[in-house]
Amino acid sequence: MKTASWQLPGEASQLPNALGFLQGFWEEAELPAALGFTFELALEEVFLNVALHGADGSRVPSVVLELTACDTEVVLIVSDDARPFDPLTLATPDTTAALEDRTIGGLGVHLVRQMMDTVTYSHETGRNRLRMTKNLNQP
Amino acid sequence: MNTENVDGITVALPSGRLDFGAAAAFQQQLEQAVAAKPRGLVVDCSSLDYVSSAGLRVFLVAARAAKAASVGFAVSSLKPAVKEVFDLTGFGNVITLCADRAAAVAALA
Repeated sequence: MKTASWQLPGEASQLPNALGFLQGFWEEAELPAALGFTFELALEEVFLNVALHGADGSRVPSVVLELTACDTEVVLIVSDDARPFDPLTLATPDTTAALEDRTIGGLGVHLVRQMMDTVTYSHETGRNRLRMTKNLNQP
Repeated sequence: MNTENVDGITVALPSGRLDFGAAAAFQQQLEQAVAAKPRGLVVDCSSLDYVSSAGLRVFLVAARAAKAASVGFAVSSLKPAVKEVFDLTGFGNVITLCADRAAAVAALA
């Protein structure tokens, strides 16, 4: 089993660094490239939600990324110390609406829920914690 | 991003990653392409490896701008991973998706 964790400021400008951390782990753990797309997307969507909506005044949230890979699954946990917010409570966007009525709000979280096997939210010791898993045998 | 002109139809060729960081420049280029009032605008995604919701938003904005300007709009050649993102969000229902560039150009002709 391989694990890695990294703390970084929850700012949109940090997204390339967050992705770099993920890609480094992917190479080291020799994980399938096709699955990397799913996790890069999830990381971008979740990290940006914190960076763009989690800031409380001028205080930048602290984000911790944790990755675990074993023979059967990969787990990504994104935690932050922004105000408590469960992204899984966001309404599911209407994916059948007409062009004019389409909105982007909630679409990122919708994608993450669709592409991951499990997504769970908890609030522990003052931190939002979103845990996402994907089974390695069913890509 | 490269663009080409095929029989009065502008073909835009985004490549690599269309993420939050790349979205603004991509949007500006597509808006400029629409403003030039071509017969149609095709976004050929054969070199596009990644799209997030920030990138999807640009396709939505461009499709609306094209419709408002009476410019035909189609997207072609989606790689499987990118196509999955279009499918999961139902964007294929409101944006014309074509298997390849020739089909997209033909659809707008």
